[in-house]
Parts: sequence; C-alpha cells; structure tokens
Amino acid sequence: MFKIILYILMAEFPVATRVLFEISRILNTGLDMETLSICVRLCEQGINPEALSSVIKELRKATEALKAAENMTG
Amino acid sequence: KTDIHYSILSLLLCLSDSPSNTTYVEKPRDKEVEKEEEFDWGKYLMEGEEIYFGPGVDTPDWSGESEEEEDTQPLSREDSGIQVDRTPLEDQDLNKKTVPNASWKVGEPDARSWLEQHVVPQYWTGRAPRFSHSLHLHSNLAAVWDHQLYTSDPLYVPEERTLVTETQVIRETLWLLSGVKKLFIFQLNDGKVAVRNDIIVTHLTHNCLRSVLEQIAAYGQVVFRLQKFIDEVMGHSPESIMHGTVSTPKKTTEAPFRTYQAFMWALYKYFISFKEELTEIEKCIINKDKTVTLSIVIDKLSPRLAQLKVLHKVFSTGVAEVPPDTRNVVRASHLLNTLYKAILEYDSVGEASEQTVSLLFSLWVETVRPYLQTVDEWIVHGNLFDPAKEFIIQRNKNVPVNHRDFWYATYTLYSVSEKTENEEKMSDNASASSGSDQAPSSRQHTMVSFLKPVLKQIIMAGKSMQLLKNLQCKDGTPQQAASRDAERKSLYTLFLESVQSRLRHGEESVSDTITEQQATKQSLIKMQSIAERHLELDDVHDPLLAINFARLYLEQSDFHEKFTGGDVCVDRSSESVTCQTFELTLRSCLYPHIDKQYLECCGNLMQTLKKDYRLVEYLQAMRNFFLLEAGDTMYDFYTSIFDKIREKETWQNVAFLNVQLQEAVGQRYPEDSARLSISFESVDTAKKKLPVHTLDGLTLSYKVPWPVDIVISLECQKIYNQVFLLLLQIKWAKYSLDVLRFDELVCAAESPQIKEGASLEQGMRPPLGPQSESIKQQIHRMFLLRVKLMHFVNSLHNYIMTRILHSTGLEFQHQVEEAKDLDQLIKIHYRYLSTIHDRCLLREKVSFVKEAIMKVLNLVLMFADRWQAGLRAWKMESIEKMESDFKNCHMFLVTVLNKAVCRGSFPHLESLALSLMAGMEQS
Repeated sequence: MFKIILYILMAEFPVATRVLFEISRILNTGLDMETLSICVRLCEQGINPEALSSVIKELRKATEALKAAENMTG
Repeated sequence: KTDIHYSILSLLLCLSDSPSNTTYVEKPRDKEVEKEEEFDWGKYLMEGEEIYFGPGVDTPDWSGESEEEEDTQPLSREDSGIQVDRTPLEDQDLNKKTVPNASWKVGEPDARSWLEQHVVPQYWTGRAPRFSHSLHLHSNLAAVWDHQLYTSDPLYVPEERTLVTETQVIRETLWLLSGVKKLFIFQLNDGKVAVRNDIIVTHLTHNCLRSVLEQIAAYGQVVFRLQKFIDEVMGHSPESIMHGTVSTPKKTTEAPFRTYQAFMWALYKYFISFKEELTEIEKCIINKDKTVTLSIVIDKLSPRLAQLKVLHKVFSTGVAEVPPDTRNVVRASHLLNTLYKAILEYDSVGEASEQTVSLLFSLWVETVRPYLQTVDEWIVHGNLFDPAKEFIIQRNKNVPVNHRDFWYATYTLYSVSEKTENEEKMSDNASASSGSDQAPSSRQHTMVSFLKPVLKQIIMAGKSMQLLKNLQCKDGTPQQAASRDAERKSLYTLFLESVQSRLRHGEESVSDTITEQQATKQSLIKMQSIAERHLELDDVHDPLLAINFARLYLEQSDFHEKFTGGDVCVDRSSESVTCQTFELTLRSCLYPHIDKQYLECCGNLMQTLKKDYRLVEYLQAMRNFFLLEAGDTMYDFYTSIFDKIREKETWQNVAFLNVQLQEAVGQRYPEDSARLSISFESVDTAKKKLPVHTLDGLTLSYKVPWPVDIVISLECQKIYNQVFLLLLQIKWAKYSLDVLRFDELVCAAESPQIKEGASLEQGMRPPLGPQSESIKQQIHRMFLLRVKLMHFVNSLHNYIMTRILHSTGLEFQHQVEEAKDLDQLIKIHYRYLSTIHDRCLLREKVSFVKEAIMKVLNLVLMFADRWQAGLRAWKMESIEKMESDFKNCHMFLVTVLNKAVCRGSFPHLESLALSLMAGMEQS
C-alpha cells in the first residue's frame, strides 16, 4: 500500500517541481531550478536535509571566497 | 506526507535567507493548456482496417517549459489516465517524428504519403487491398453467384473485378450528382456517363449492380448537361458559343442574352439547393450514425431525381434542341413558351404534380424577369433597351421620333410561328400597332404566348411613352416623375407581389404590411452598407450604385427564398380563390399591372396632345375649313370665286385664290390663316368636262404641326379635300340659283323688245300682245324650273350639311373624348373620314348616283347661266329639254334612293329620299 501511495505521489512529482521552485523562491533560498532538482533527488535518496543544507552553505561560502580572491588579483 | 517531503521542506527552510527582506515577484502563472479531446481521424477513417492507434494530432504545448520536462511529458492519449511508463517512450518518440504537426501541410512528402496510406484505401488505383467482409451468404452473393455461373456454364470465365464497398459506391453517386467529373465508378465520355464495367460489390451480382448504377448514370448525365449549360452561359467553358454564331475572339463585346442568363441563374440556384441536400446526405454517411444503403439514398433523392428529369425535359425542349443559328428573339420566346406550356401541362394534372409545378413556376418566374424588365422599362420610360435583341418588338433605328412615319414604322413586331419547322419571319413594317391582328390565323402559336393578350397594350403603351417623352423634351417641361422613380415598384416586383398574395391567400395578415415596410427599409440600409463595402473593394465609391445593388439583392432574395423554400404551394383547396387554373391566376397577376400602366400612359399622351398640342382644336379647324363648318368665313371665300366664275373672269390664279382665302380667314381665324393655303392644278383637259367640274383641281391644304399630324395625316387631308370639293360644287350650284333674280329675267324679257325688235322670236311682255303669253309662260316655266332646281339643291345641301356632316361630327367629337390611346384616335378619325366620304356618295360603288347628282348640278349651272344671259339666249325647246332632263334625273335618283332605303342598307338616305320625293311632280 505504501508503494502505491508513493507511486501516486511520484506521479504528481512533475507538477510539484514547479511548486517547489516557487516555494524556494518565496523563501529566498537562492536555488535555481537545476540545483533544486538535484537537491530534491538527493533527498529522495535519503540524505539528511540539514546536512545537505549546511553543505550547500559551505559550498556557497567557498565559491564566494574564490570569487573574491579572483577579483582581488584580477 | 512522507519523509521526503519533510526533508525537502526542511532543506528549503535551512537554505532560506531572510525571505521578508527580499522582494518577490510572482511569476506569471501559466495557464494549463486544455487538452482537447482530439478526434482521432486516423481511427475513424480506417473503416475497420488494421487497428492502428495513431498518436494524437495535437501535442499540448506547455509554454515556458524547459526541455527537461519533455522527457517526462508523454504525449496525451485519449484513453489513458494512468501514468505512462517510460519504456514505450522511444516508440512514441519515433512516432512523433512521423506525425505532422497541427497544420496539415500536405505538400510535405511524408505527410502526403501518410495521408495516402491512412485516410482512405485507394480503391481507384486498382491495387486496392482486400478488405475483410463477413462470410455470410448475403454479403457474399457476388462470389456465390460467380461460383454458380462457373459451375453451370463451361465457358464462363470469371473476369477480373475491382471490389468496392457500398459506401464507396454511395459516395461516388453523391459526387456524380453534384457534378464532379473525375470519378472511378462513373466515367464521363463526350457528355455521356458510363458505368465502369468491372465494378463489383460483394453482396450484389454484377448485373444487378450495373443496372442500378446505370439508372443513376442517366441522372448524372442530366446533371452534367445542365451544368454545362450553366457554365456556357456564365462564360466559364472555353467553347462557349452564346449566340449561336461563330465564337469570335472578342466575346466581351457581345451583349448579354438576358433571358438565358436568368434561366441559368434559376437552374444554378436549384443546383445549389440540390447540392446542399447531397452534402447533408454525405455528412450523414460520414457520421455513421445510421445505416445508409444505396437504395435508401436513392429513395431519399427520388423527388429530386424526378425534378431533374422534368428539368431536363424542359431544358432539352427549350434550349438544347434549338438550332444554333436562330435569333435571340426566337430563342427567348421559345424558352419562355416551353416553360409556360410545361407549367400548364403539369398543372392540368392536378395535385399530383404540385411540386413540379412550383419548381417550374419558380424557373419561369426567374426566366421571365428580363422580359418583364424590358417591358417595364419601355412602357414606363419609353426606352426599349434590348441589347441582345431578344424582345419581340424591335426599335427601328432608322426612324427618328419626329419623323412623319414615326408612329407606324418605328417598331417592328416579330411574329414567328412555332408550329412549322421552317420559320417564316413576318416583320410587319407598315403598322406595328395592328401587326398583331394581322398574324395569320392558320398559325396558332405566336411569340411569347403569355404576353399575347396584352401585346397590343404593351405596344401602345411603349410607343405612347416614347412619343410622350419626346413631346415633353421638346416642351422642356420638367419631369417630376423621374425623381420618384426610385420608389416606384417595377412591373416585375408588382407581379411577384400579386403572385405571392394570390398563392398564399389566407396566410398573411394585413397588419404585416407596415412592419414589412419598415423591415424592408432597414434591410435596405443594411444591404446598402454591405454593397458599399463590396464596391469599395473595387475602389468604387458610389453610394447611389450601392443602394441600387442593395435593392436588387433584396428584390431577388425576398421572393426566391420565400417561394422556392417550399412555403408557397399552389393552393388548390376549394375555399381558396386560386381554384382557377394556373393560367388564369398568372394572368390576373400580370395583366392588370400592364393594363394600368397602359391606361395611365396613354391617358397621359392623350391629355398632352389635347391640352398642350391642341389636338381637338386642330380637328375642329379641319372641319371648319374643309367641311365648311365655318360657314361665314368660307362663304366669303367661295363666293368671291363664284362671282369671278360668273363673270367669266379667270379665277384659276393661285395668288388670287390665296389672297381671297387669307382675307376671308384672316378676319375670324387669324392664327389659321398662316396654315391654310390653296392651290390649283388644272386637271387634264382631255376628257370633255362638264362645267360643274371646273372646280376640280382645287386643293386646300392645312399645315398641321407634329405631333398632331400623326392623327391628321396627308392621306386624311386628301379625303378632306375630296369632300371639300363636293361641298364646293353644291354650294356653287346653290349660290348660282340663289343669286338669280326674278326681275332680271323679266327685265331681260322686256329689254330686247326695247333694244332690238326683230331678232326676237318670243314676244314681249308689256304690250300684252299675242306673243306675251308665250313669254309669260316661258318665264313662268323658268320660275318653276328654278324653284324645282332650288328645292333639289337645297335638300341635297341640307342633307349633306346637317344629316351627314353635323351629326357625324357630333359622333366624332364624342368619340375623340372617349379615345384611350393614340391608335384608337387615329382609327376613329379615319373612320369618321370614311363615313363622310361614303355618305357623301363619293364611293366608287355609288358613282352612278353621284353622276346623276352631278348632272343635276350641271343643269343648275347651265340654267343659271342661261338665266343670266337672258331670255333671248334660248328657246322653249331648251327649257323643255332642261325640264325633262331634270325630271329624269330626279326620278332616277328618287327610285334609286327609295330602293336603297327600302332595302335598309343606307338608313341615312331616308331624309334625302323623302325630300327629293316631295319635290317630285305628282304625275
């Protein structure tokens, strides 16, 4: 039964993606569609969301630092 | 909700970065495109062929979708509600590529081939796939029969046949009847439709199918023939020979043959409705809601097919069988006559052919429109506008309007017999007005039979109108009627209206008329705007043209819609007014309008002639001078002549005569004196003339202006002149007798005795000697003779002046007032003149009577002469001779007249006979 529900829910998945994107926009997460879908897929796979969010934040910081370093030297 | 949801949401929450501080612009929501329930054409057109679920035609487009979504977006399937699994995606992708997009671009090769493969099996190419059908005996009859023939007949060879379905046969039939030329089952060769020989359906034998199809083929042929005619008249076909002449390169300059065009138009409208019906049936077949078989279709179409037959009959008689060289006049009238006869024929059948009658009637009404329009234009405006020369009356262009012969020679009536094959054309130049009466009675059919009873009125009205227009033009009087012409209903409209009201008796209420007028005004305005827009497409900005077009369309559409829609049927119920035959109904709708116009316009002409051109005054003037009704004036004139004659002076001087005439006439009729003139031609002196004939050769002429000289023509003047001469002679005799004075004679008797004594044979009076007796006797006898002669001459004079001239004149005046049209007036005038001529004994047959009268008049003149000369000039014997002569003539006349009166042939001579008899001696 659980699988059936899952099936149904996954059927709604494509519709939900847009809604999710809207939600992320409202929350000002700064995620674009591609990143969001990757995150969603990762969550589907079972990754801890808090960990994932912290990873993303770290990655962001790193990219910003790299960008800043580039700007300084360039 | 599952963990995943929670995890996603918590992820988002963790990543959120002060949402309240950022601006959020809502992305415009894209509406979902509604999935249309697409009609799977492929499936439907397959008709049970290989089951093939083609993909839908329309792929719903999600706007703003990224390509990523495409993989997850399966194509819509009408029967799917379940999540499609991804495995067949590759399959569908392939199919997607072969499916053309929404627009059917058949030009694309792969699309075309798809169409060819999937819409309809191409049974006409000969390599049709064998489709499956049930093996039931009834649906396999053909094969069974074939087998039967094969087994029974040793020589039977089964032929190669193409198999078609009944639906295909039905559809081909429908296409044939709607005029399609390229078909598979029916083939068109030289205008004949033939059924293909190798067609077979599974459930009928070959022969059976063929016989059914051949019946249909005949109708198809009719359709083609009629269609060809329509194309020819419209000028579409390359071999159009509209006028029977060799087709010249400049066809556009030929005048349009309007009657044929109208007929073609009526046929065209019929075909449009027919094709609509066929399309309905075809849609029904396509929808496949009900079973449709060939016999059902034929049954449904059977009234139409019967109508086609009737049309064909009418067409072939009326148009197709006309030899190509006939003139348009004949063609037009032949067509109209054919239609009319057909209507009458079917009408006499009764209720059974009501539909046919309505069909033919609508055709006839449409075809007769140009004719009636020509008539209308002619009798209302005086313009015979007939570029294609199809009207039976042709304007003779050589004769302008103010020509002397206008009234007679201007229009030629074309009478052609329809019975004989060799047409003898009888164009009557002499008098178009009485031309119709001169049609030989042996020929029964004349042109345009439905107009025949009113032909005379039409001609009269037309000529009068033309004359009237010219008269008005000359006068320069403004024509107020022209401005109102736009609202005037044409003859055709009136005719249609009366037909409608006649045939729909009892259905309509009177109160409709007002709203009808408003409705027509509104629709007219609406129509005008449409017409204007149409015209502007051609860069024509002409509101007047637009409104006329609008009127035209409305006229046409109103009647035809109402009529051919089947609403109007010839009401034959006994309580309706139209229980009469169709012919009577028709005539009562058309003729009254023509009659009305005729009366109106001829009445107008009469009025104009009488008022503006003083016709009556001129007639009176003729009578005044020629018939000596202006007694005192003419007395002055002729006495001067007689005096001159008496005095033996030359009076034959034209100048003298004219001067006398002018003097006499100028006193009382100054305006006529300019027109009168007199001339003298000496008649041949070869034959010995009596003195009474001295006056012969006098010709009085009166110049009558146009248009009055149509009535008072030169020939009429000649007759007037003859009567004038006779009257002069009588007057002369009377005058000579009147001026004789008794005492002249007595003095003359006396004077010779005083002057000369010896030469006298007779005695003298005063000495009452023995010879005075004879003189007295002589004188007495002369007195007596004179009195007798006077009596004779007076009675003759009275008879002529009063009994003949005066009473005939009164009759004539009365008739002139009653005259309705110019022709009648001319006839009346002529009749009056011939009556006078006859009664004055001027006719050839009674010339002996005239001779006798002339003798007496001569006698009178001689007597007067002698009297003037005196007694000496003559002897007793001459007196006696004169007396006896007179007595003889008198007797003769009396007997003749009495005989005539007793016979009763000349009742008017009675008074003359009586008075003459009274003068006879009782011996």
